[in-house]
Amino acid sequence: MVAKQTRYVIIGASAAGMAAAETIRKLDSKGSITALSKEQDMPYFRPMIPFMITGKKKFSEMMLIGQGPYQSANINVRLNSTVEAVHTTDQTISIKSGEELPYDKLLIATGSRPHIPPIAGIEAEGVFALRTLSDARAMALRAERTKHAVMLGGGLLNLKTAFALLERGLEVTLIIQSPEVLSQLMEPNDATLIRDALIRAGLRMITGCSASRILSDANGVNGVLLDDGREVVCQMVCIGKGVRPNVDFLGQSDIKVDQGVVADRFTACNTLNVFAAGDVAVTFDSTTGERIVTGLWTNAVEMGHCAGRNMAGQPTEYTGTLGILNATQVADVPFVSMGIVHTSGTDYETYVASAPKAYRKLVFTPDGAKLVGALFVGDISRAGLYRYLIREGRAVKGIKSFIIRRQLHYGHILKETI
Amino acid sequence: MSQPKEIFVRLDRCVGCHTCNIACTVEHSKSKNLFESISEHPTPKNRVYVEWVPTDHKVPVLCRHCEDAPCMHACISGAISRTEEGVVITNSDKCIGCWTCVMVCPYGVIGRHLETHKAYRCDRCPDLKTPACVDACPTQALVYRTVEAFSGDVRQDAARKMISEERR
Ligand SMILES: Cc1cc2nc3c(=O)[nH]c(=O)nc-3n(C[C@H](O)[C@H](O)[C@H](O)COP(=O)(O)OP(=O)(O)OC[C@H]3O[C@@H](n4cnc5c(N)ncnc54)[C@H](O)[C@@H]3O)c2cc1C
Ligand code: SF4
Ligand code: SF4
Repeated sequence: MVAKQTRYVIIGASAAGMAAAETIRKLDSKGSITALSKEQDMPYFRPMIPFMITGKKKFSEMMLIGQGPYQSANINVRLNSTVEAVHTTDQTISIKSGEELPYDKLLIATGSRPHIPPIAGIEAEGVFALRTLSDARAMALRAERTKHAVMLGGGLLNLKTAFALLERGLEVTLIIQSPEVLSQLMEPNDATLIRDALIRAGLRMITGCSASRILSDANGVNGVLLDDGREVVCQMVCIGKGVRPNVDFLGQSDIKVDQGVVADRFTACNTLNVFAAGDVAVTFDSTTGERIVTGLWTNAVEMGHCAGRNMAGQPTEYTGTLGILNATQVADVPFVSMGIVHTSGTDYETYVASAPKAYRKLVFTPDGAKLVGALFVGDISRAGLYRYLIREGRAVKGIKSFIIRRQLHYGHILKETI
Repeated sequence: MSQPKEIFVRLDRCVGCHTCNIACTVEHSKSKNLFESISEHPTPKNRVYVEWVPTDHKVPVLCRHCEDAPCMHACISGAISRTEEGVVITNSDKCIGCWTCVMVCPYGVIGRHLETHKAYRCDRCPDLKTPACVDACPTQALVYRTVEAFSGDVRQDAARKMISEERR
């Protein structure tokens, strides 16, 4: 008997979707793989879109297929194909064009979209929330007639966007409600070196404030009214207030949604032959076991690989991710934040060391036995060793003093393992 | 197809002389000459690290070119790929210096070049028949063999096994 070709359908052609496609192709050379995207562009490395604003890279340099690990052929990518519904009983999906597409295995990898808070006047032209290449192109256009841009929110996305705009020669002001930048990734005291670097780089900052209204005229945005009554003149506003999973199209289906699409340890949803991965999925924290929704490229790729295996018939358990797993460089200061780093008011055993150009915080379980979090600012060398220890959740025993002093190297771990 | 070769470490032989460091740095310079390489810009970088573990063990550490290379899958710009020979390489033209790979490499062997703002690591010396560090090692603590020829063991466990053998 000739086995029937499996029809794999993937909604979302980005990190999670393409990683899954890659894995499926390695395990099943015959099945058909269709990845749908509502965007107009072929898959690209989403974190690179700020380079579209600076103009430092062309689209061809951001493309995903054929780069890094994305080498498999015979993956059918369909653009401009918004999926509007999933029918789990007859195993089909509805595409905006009216087409019904059947599937044998379905992956939901629709990612997330920016959260837009209900601020009066927010629909004005010149207000952006950077997520797609189209957003980046539109921002680049608007930047041409912008002198001053205001960023609402001090998270990583807004910092990256702010730097792209600074590089283009714009004046940029960051407006943040919390006392410090990057409050999702560190505590206020941890952010001093980064804040100083931002100021050195020319970024202006207003803290403890939020926007109560966005002002505009026929040319679009022309200012922001703050909740303390101040008015800031600007020609562009960028919203960086976190992301929300793209689950709206599942409203009519029986696929379980709780913030994101709920997936079990094997990346499977509650309905047969449906899987979920990436920003859209509810996954879990590998240290705490807590259910979480993340916005991480690394999680999207790993979970996508895992879902791909499960879809191709190789049951594979997902090991989870760390809720915080970020590395980047802001201005001339690199930093890495991993695992549990918000420790005020908790009984985690915490070690902090601060020097003029480097800061670190190492967080252990209250009994001091395991490493659960690490934050490095300035010096991030060998950060991966610490991530490994956090993720493995193994007792650190003999190497603890090296961890605290940040002298850990692979030799220590090797000696400890055997 | 012939088996790809790998760099193995024989811990019992390493005397911590750092000759491999110098050979690596020179091989990754423009001039490929010790004296000229010192004044080059960007500064040529060493990619093999000789660590010291108490009481007195020397442990050369370098990129394992892992099977499911975490760095390659994590890279947010597609700069890391695997060559046909199985070597995991970083394309510095594509690297944007986000340091995600530094955060995920469990061996801690990816360096940050501060002048160029690029990540770098062992590339197994694509221009040489035998990697420079292996060639330079005076005690043959570093060897370049196929997995089969070395021990018939899987790559991740090779180093670990050597240590346990050493302890016996
Ligand atoms: C500027 C920027 C910088 C970032 N930097 C980092 C970083 O340094 N490190 C990090 O870990 N993460 C970073 N991220 C986050 C990272 O990009 C995301 O976590 C990652 O892209 C999630 O991948 P995904 O595949 O789950 O979803 P997405 O990348 O959001 O892709 C979703 C896909 O689904 C498609 N889609 C959505 N709805 C539908 C529908 N109804 N029908 C059809 N198709 C649909 C979209 O077209 C797209 O193809 C950054 C994000 C941005 C915007
Ligand atoms: S850099 Fe690290 S993670 Fe990447 S292949 Fe080498 S050892 Fe493995
Ligand atoms: S530093 Fe370079 S090679 Fe490493 S993950 Fe970032 S872009 Fe990729």
